[in-house]
Amino acid sequence: MLEIESLTAGYGGVPVLRDINVKLGAGEIVGLLGANNAGKTTLINSLSGTVRPISGRILFQGEDITPMSPRRRVERGIVQVPEGRLVFPEMSIRENLLLGGINSRARPNRRRQMDKVLELFPRLGERLSQNAGSLSGGEQQMLAIGRGLMAEARVLMLDEPSLGLSPLFVQYIFEIIDRLHAEGLTILLVEQNLNLTLRHAQRCYVLERGQVAVEGVADAVRNDPRTKSAYLGL
Amino acid sequence: MSELYQALAQGLLIGSTYGLLALGMGLVYGVSGVVNFSHGDFISLGMFMCLALYSALSLDPYVSVIITVPVMTAIGALVYLFLIRPMVGHQFLMVVQLTLGLSLVLQNGILMVFGGQPARTPSVVESKLLLLGDVVLRVPHLIAFAVSFVLAGGLYVMLRSTDFGRSIRAVHQNAHAAALMGIDVGRVQVMTFALGIGILALAAALLLPGTPIQPTQGLRYTVITLLVVVLGGMTNFVGIMLGGLVIGIAEAFGTIYLDGPLGLLMPYIIFVLIMLFRPQGLTWSSSR
Ligand SMILES: Nc1ncnc2c1ncn2[C@@H]1O[C@H](COP(=O)(O)OP(=O)(O)OP(=O)(O)O)[C@@H](O)[C@H]1O
Ligand SMILES: [Mg+2]
Repeated sequence: MLEIESLTAGYGGVPVLRDINVKLGAGEIVGLLGANNAGKTTLINSLSGTVRPISGRILFQGEDITPMSPRRRVERGIVQVPEGRLVFPEMSIRENLLLGGINSRARPNRRRQMDKVLELFPRLGERLSQNAGSLSGGEQQMLAIGRGLMAEARVLMLDEPSLGLSPLFVQYIFEIIDRLHAEGLTILLVEQNLNLTLRHAQRCYVLERGQVAVEGVADAVRNDPRTKSAYLGL
Repeated sequence: MSELYQALAQGLLIGSTYGLLALGMGLVYGVSGVVNFSHGDFISLGMFMCLALYSALSLDPYVSVIITVPVMTAIGALVYLFLIRPMVGHQFLMVVQLTLGLSLVLQNGILMVFGGQPARTPSVVESKLLLLGDVVLRVPHLIAFAVSFVLAGGLYVMLRSTDFGRSIRAVHQNAHAAALMGIDVGRVQVMTFALGIGILALAAALLLPGTPIQPTQGLRYTVITLLVVVLGGMTNFVGIMLGGLVIGIAEAFGTIYLDGPLGLLMPYIIFVLIMLFRPQGLTWSSSR
């Protein structure tokens, strides 16, 4: 469904990612692991198009999307739930959700889609007109995911959804992720939390200083000694 | 006493248009971080376009806006695309210099075409007055007041309840997140700048009747707008309109009660005083 082919990307011409090859099958839930600064966010932003590649290609459903703007990619259904959630703090939950579905493909069905999202997160529905900035971290994460779903995502990329959340909320968010996966959504799960990710993802990639150090099914990655070294930075 | 009411009324009426000028500047600042120091010269441009249209076709300024608003909106879009956009993201001061340069270009361009003599553009309502007890209200001021508030209200509704308005606020609150929603941030910035300049074209016509204009006046409008924007809290809608009224009233008081140069300083004095005691601007919560 989504293929990254020997991607090199970075900032100001300085590569952060080198020769990355990653594949996501339709309906798969794939983990992307790595220590701080490994390049996970850079990779996810390359998929969203907000980081421009230096070389390499990105294919989505067989189509080369490398030259496409972030907007066209969202219209294709490649949607990111960013690190730190980045909800629009001075807008209501409702407005945040509406913005989630602002792309030309999702816009006509926004009402229906919003009903679905609110069914998934009843807690958001109870306070639709509350400003997003006044929500707790967990609620903001729900909103960020809900906003991503409003875009009618075909691939949902979640950047560290567990970051800064209490264990209870983490559990809840991952239940939601499992549920979305069960409904057939393709998911790229970016995490630092190794065990959590290995429990929920079918396959994983471990990034180490901008390169894929380990890849494979969850158990293989768990038992690979390079996984540990990638984390400890040895 | 009637002098007091006179000053208050006049200040309120003109102040609403100052608020409108400042809303344009605040919107642009909010979505692209650009403070446009050629703001006032675009007002001049709008006024002189009205003058030209009067000379050529004897159009009333209120009618000329049908032409000047779209033309200046287009000019705004081109200026942003080809001059400002390439500089955005560089040093803030470079953008400031660019807009200052633009200000000189506009000023001298107008000077070349129209000469340096103060000019007037007549309007049918120019000398019409409305008496409210002892207070004399000039009809152009009343029109400016009504149109400014209607337009500000329209802008407010647009920002709150249309996709374009929400896009503007999204870009302002978090441009990266806005891009991830599929919002074309660059396009929102161009359109906002164009909208801001289009508003100036309208404001120019509102301020024009009865006012002598000259090519060098731009800076004065820029400074007034800056005062209002800073007073209002840069991107705070209500604060900016309020700031416009305050500066308008200060100016009216200055010209009525104090003579000459001292009177003209009044808005600045009030501004400095307010900023000393309320550096955060006039309002508390920011309703961006
Ligand atoms: N906007 C930027 N400009 C320049 N360098 C950047 C930028 N963003 C990230 N980097 C650099 O790229 C490298 C990878 O950062 P990235 O954010 O992709 O890592 P990450 O794996 O997401 O880390 P974390 O777990 O902390 O989120 C880091 O060295 C970082 O300093
Ligand atoms: Mg990251």
